Parts: sequence; C-alpha cells; structure tokens
Amino acid sequence: MFVYEKQLQYPVKIKNPNPALAKIIASQYGGPDGELGASTRYLSQRFAMPMPELKATLTDIGTEELNHLEMVGAIIYQLTKGVSPEEIKKAGLDAYFVDHTTGIYPASAAGVPFNAMAIASKGDAITDLHESMAAEQKARTTYDNILRFCDDPDVIDPIRFLRAREVVHYQRFGENLRLLTDQLDSKNFYAFNPSYDKNCFKKRKDR
Amino acid sequence: MTDREMLLKKIGTCKFAVTDIDLFLDTHPGDTEMLRKRDEYLAQLRPLVEKFEEKYGPLTKDENAANSWSWVKDPWPWDMEG
Repeated sequence: MFVYEKQLQYPVKIKNPNPALAKIIASQYGGPDGELGASTRYLSQRFAMPMPELKATLTDIGTEELNHLEMVGAIIYQLTKGVSPEEIKKAGLDAYFVDHTTGIYPASAAGVPFNAMAIASKGDAITDLHESMAAEQKARTTYDNILRFCDDPDVIDPIRFLRAREVVHYQRFGENLRLLTDQLDSKNFYAFNPSYDKNCFKKRKDR
Repeated sequence: MTDREMLLKKIGTCKFAVTDIDLFLDTHPGDTEMLRKRDEYLAQLRPLVEKFEEKYGPLTKDENAANSWSWVKDPWPWDMEG
C-alpha cells in the first residue's frame, strides 16, 4: 500500500525557467534510464525475490524512485512555467509543446515515449539484481551528462541529490546480491534461477 | 527562506535520514545501533511535523483538524511555494 505525503523528498525551487534544460532533464522522467522505469522495474521485480531482505530492498528503493519521479516532474514543471511560444521555439521544445503544451509526459529527451522495453523483470533473482545494479549506474551516468549542461545552482542542487541516491542504491543492490549468493551452492552460483530452482540453495544444515 | 520553508526543510532532513537508514537496515536487519539512530530521528521528526501541520496544513490525510478538507489547499509540492 502506498500513502502520499505532501512534500518532495528534496526541495525543488527553480527561480529562472529554462526550457532548453527542461528538454534534456525530461529524459529522467520517462526516458530509457529514467525514474518511471526505475520505480516500475523494482516494484515489479520484488515479487519473484526468494529472500525477505531482497523483497524489502526492492520495495523501499522502488518507493523512493516514485519520490524521484515526482522531483524530476517538479523540475520540468518549474523550468517551463510561464514560458512564451517564442522561448519554447528557441529552446527546441516546440515539437514537445505541440503535443503536450507544458504538461508533463513521460518520454526521452529525443521524444521517444516511455517504453517498458527499457526495463526487465525476468523472474530470476540473480538476473534481476544485475539488471537493477546496471540500471542505477545508467541513471547515474545520465545525471552526470545532465550536469554537464547545467549552470543554474537551483537545478544543479536537486540533480546532485538524485545522482547521489543512484550510488547508494547501487551499494544496497550489491549487498542484496551478496546476501543471495551467500545462501547458494558456491560451486556454481550462476547456472540456476534462485527464484525458481529452489534446490540451488545450500542445504538447510549448511546455512 | 520563509519560516514555512525552513520548517519543511527540517522535516525533510529527518525523513530523509529515516529513509536512508531504512535501506541500510533492509540489508543489515540486525544492526541495533542503526535501529536506535532511526528512533532518534523519528523522535526529532514528530514535534516538527506537529508544529508544521498546526501552522501550515496537513502533510498527510491523517491530519485534518479544520472543519473543511484542508488537504486540497495550495501549495502542492511541485509549486514554488510548496
């Protein structure tokens, strides 16, 4: 169950609109490594996890990603607030504007609508944890690339916060993978699906 | 920074500490020191939330002391004033 709290996880207060920046940051809303994909990925993968620590981590990180989706939406909203059609055109946001005005729509910076093909939920704990770890690094790289174009401290500050969370999440997923392999037969970690092939776990007496 | 923003920032800081500790505890559920730290942040958080909601309106739907449904009132979190 989810309960809404009327507060962003980290404040977003952008004084100067900048539609050119909005155009690239939008990729972290609905792009291939964005926050919509992140939350959907983890909140879907958790069902197949064979250990309680893994279910907890994916639930809690998946929930945090919903906060991040909201923060990125707030950033785009504030960067495009009250912007004239001339400024929209100059910033190259006219192709987006014609379909969505300044509404928030999940798409990549290049305009490709959100696609679930950008996430995976394989029903295999090892496969899915590797996918999740890679996803955190891909998002971190994207935030680094966004920061290369930012010169407004009001934007840099929340983007740096989001970037730092990717690093923490990577660490926690890495711990998940270790917790899991600690329970598996060490002769061959990677030849089985621990979510399905229960006999790949160590015998109870060895644990 | 307005008084409202300052108070909300303090609340956000405590909430964030709890969130980050939660993730740590998910992979280290037996860490009693961290459990104690979590309680400390929660204890700091409660009076701040009470003070905020009394002055500026509800952060969750649980708190709705007024005669009208104050949940709907602006600002919302994505507003500049939020």
